[in-house]
Amino acid sequence: MRLEDVRESVKDFAHEFRYQKGGIIGLILLIILVSAAVLAPQITSPDVAKRWSKEFWVENPPNVPPTWINYFSSKKLAPHQVYSINDLEILDGGDGEKILRIVYESNYDVPPKDIVLQGFKVSSHDVKNKPRMTVVLKRPDGLEVKLIEDRMISSNTVIQIATNTEVKNNVFKWSKEVSDIELKPVEEIKLQALMDTMKILFGKIDENIFKQPTPLHGKYVLEIRIKTVDDGDVLDLSGFSVIFSGRTFGLMGTDSKGRDIWAGLVWGTRVSLAVGIAVAVLSVLIGIVYGVASAYFGGWKDETMQRFNEFMFSLPVLPILILLGAYFKGHVDLFQIVLLLVLFGWVGVAKVARSMALQIKEQTFVEAARALGAGSGRIVFKHIMPQIMPYAFSQMALSVPYAVMTEAALSFLGLGDPTAVTWGQMLYDAQNAGATINGYWWWVVPPGLAIALVGLAFVLLGVALDRILNPRMRTL
Amino acid sequence: MSFARYLGIRIFNALLVLAFVTFVVSILFVKVAEDDARTRIAEIINGEARNPAILRLKASDPEAFEKWKRNREEQLRREFELDKPFWERVISKTKNTLLLDFGNARSPVFGEIKVSKIIEKAIPRTVLLFTTAQIIITFIGLLLGIKAAQKAGKAVDKVLSVLAMLTASLPMWWVGMVFILIFAFQLGIFPASSLPNPNLEGIQYYRDLLWRMMLPLVTVVFVSFGGWAYTTRNIMITTMHEDFITVARAKGVPERKVIYGHALRAASPPIVTNVIIGLLGSLGGAIITEAVFNWPGMGRLYWVALQQSEVNLLMGVTYVTVALFLASMIIADVIYGYLDPRVRVGR
Repeated sequence: MRLEDVRESVKDFAHEFRYQKGGIIGLILLIILVSAAVLAPQITSPDVAKRWSKEFWVENPPNVPPTWINYFSSKKLAPHQVYSINDLEILDGGDGEKILRIVYESNYDVPPKDIVLQGFKVSSHDVKNKPRMTVVLKRPDGLEVKLIEDRMISSNTVIQIATNTEVKNNVFKWSKEVSDIELKPVEEIKLQALMDTMKILFGKIDENIFKQPTPLHGKYVLEIRIKTVDDGDVLDLSGFSVIFSGRTFGLMGTDSKGRDIWAGLVWGTRVSLAVGIAVAVLSVLIGIVYGVASAYFGGWKDETMQRFNEFMFSLPVLPILILLGAYFKGHVDLFQIVLLLVLFGWVGVAKVARSMALQIKEQTFVEAARALGAGSGRIVFKHIMPQIMPYAFSQMALSVPYAVMTEAALSFLGLGDPTAVTWGQMLYDAQNAGATINGYWWWVVPPGLAIALVGLAFVLLGVALDRILNPRMRTL
Repeated sequence: MSFARYLGIRIFNALLVLAFVTFVVSILFVKVAEDDARTRIAEIINGEARNPAILRLKASDPEAFEKWKRNREEQLRREFELDKPFWERVISKTKNTLLLDFGNARSPVFGEIKVSKIIEKAIPRTVLLFTTAQIIITFIGLLLGIKAAQKAGKAVDKVLSVLAMLTASLPMWWVGMVFILIFAFQLGIFPASSLPNPNLEGIQYYRDLLWRMMLPLVTVVFVSFGGWAYTTRNIMITTMHEDFITVARAKGVPERKVIYGHALRAASPPIVTNVIIGLLGSLGGAIITEAVFNWPGMGRLYWVALQQSEVNLLMGVTYVTVALFLASMIIADVIYGYLDPRVRVGR
């Protein structure tokens, strides 16, 4: 084939492809998926793959739904918000006092789960005279709550407003004062133990404040005053952040380890596409070569190769794969998964390729080539292969969904690569965490849809290729 | 070649495949079991070394302690059969497996400890679920497929092709998870776990069983019927283009009879093989789907074996699955031969 011919046939192909609606949709899906895979570090963050399987993502709230759920529900849930030092208003209170301010607009019916203050860096000479912090919350109704008063801070200080005992006592005392509720001592102890600090802080002051606070909407101001007493102390707030730990998180919510499911979805595209395409291309190529070789050699060689093919064909794939996966003790890396899938992937293709090659072999142009003295290699690669390639291309596209699904199935059984971010693994974690019976739909639905999307993209492409490249099949 | 002889060769072939697979799997299995046994031996010896008497011996006479350790290790190796040569163990494992003697599980499953007994309990449940599903799928698929073939290129046909493509891209087990979310968690109509209640009896038990089977059944049918209808459609369209159909129509046979009497009869061999191949194909998805639903069949056993690393159980389940798979292929062949006389004579 000359270069011009190739260009011509590509042009023809592109022209015909334009009329394949399904093929166009498949191509668009594929472009989206590939860009997600390539741009994963930019879309999410570059350290996702490294952190995914190793740690809890403590900075995120675990098991919360995506933020957009608020559009569909009448009960608005507070989203996850992180304020770094640059997002804070910093004022100088004079006398070595620094005031950090956050204006928090709350229109939510369920307040944040927690407010976490962290990232202080303090170096001081005198242990007893460290910088002191006071935290005050100014509410939209004009009231002010002192959450923390003159607390010494050091480098490892992390304050969780929702669970901190000092805060709890302060808030309880404050709310008793402002609401004028008479409590018996026994009741008081019980209420104090059971109260939800955050709901009271963000709730209306009325008789229900302890039992069922109604949310108070409006502008809240969180003020953090830090006073450096000793002149020699250095207070570095560059790493300081305030986290309003949300009842919802990001685009897709989080799982039980606080991992961002959106990040997992985007990164999962990489493994899925890589495994799917690698398996499809390798197994189809091997299948074609095997089939054509078998047909071309003929005789006892053909017979032996066909026996072996039949043997492979009569094995149930998944049970054997599971057993092999168990043999690797459930730590199968991606390369091994590809090999295992290829091991069973070529069989069907080889059968079809053989029968196609048998037909082509008997045609007159092959006979003519042989009469002109063409060698085996020339006949196989110049005359037989080009005729089979169209079939190979569509078959490659159609094999991808199978490979993707089998990989996901193995991962789902816990036989995947535990260090990789894969959709099957996410579903495995979801199953083990009882996501279905707890109703964590944002953890179960997206990975499966992603698998289906990859499958659909390649099925559509494969069918379109089949229609164009194998015109004989078009009547079906 | 007579059909009986052909069948004989097929069965012989299948047995050969089965024996070979068992042999290969046994090699892997013996290796895994060896690693397993090594760690167990080390654990046992370390456990015993904490015994006060042994500790005293170690303090007073280190040499005697070493000797005790060596002897004990030797003894345990004999107990775990690690003293025999590798190939001897492989062959004995192959033989035992072929004779359905899989040994014991470490902890009881379904109230049984013997692997063959466990599997005996699981098979009927898997067969019940998937045969029922396949019957429903075949029925719906035939109706839809024939309808689409009659109106090829029209709206019904197009909807069916899209449906087939969409459902074929869905992993069955994931659909199961989503159905649990919708029907068990959100709506609360069906139970999330399909494990039947063993305390019920008689008609009550069967009603409970049916109720629990509903969700997995709907899942399997939902995922498979589209693709199956599409296959039927393709086979039917090919048949409808044949000359004898034109002849039948030309001589005035009513359309209903042309389709159900002539075309369907001629199309039945590939359809039947496809049903059986489909049943086998669903075996893979079935393994995981059962695990998702807690349906106590073969799939559940796979899940248990993998989660608790029950090597014997895994080996037994794999062997039985492969054997069932091979047997079904032969049955498919026999039925094909019965329906299509061309297969029976010569090949």
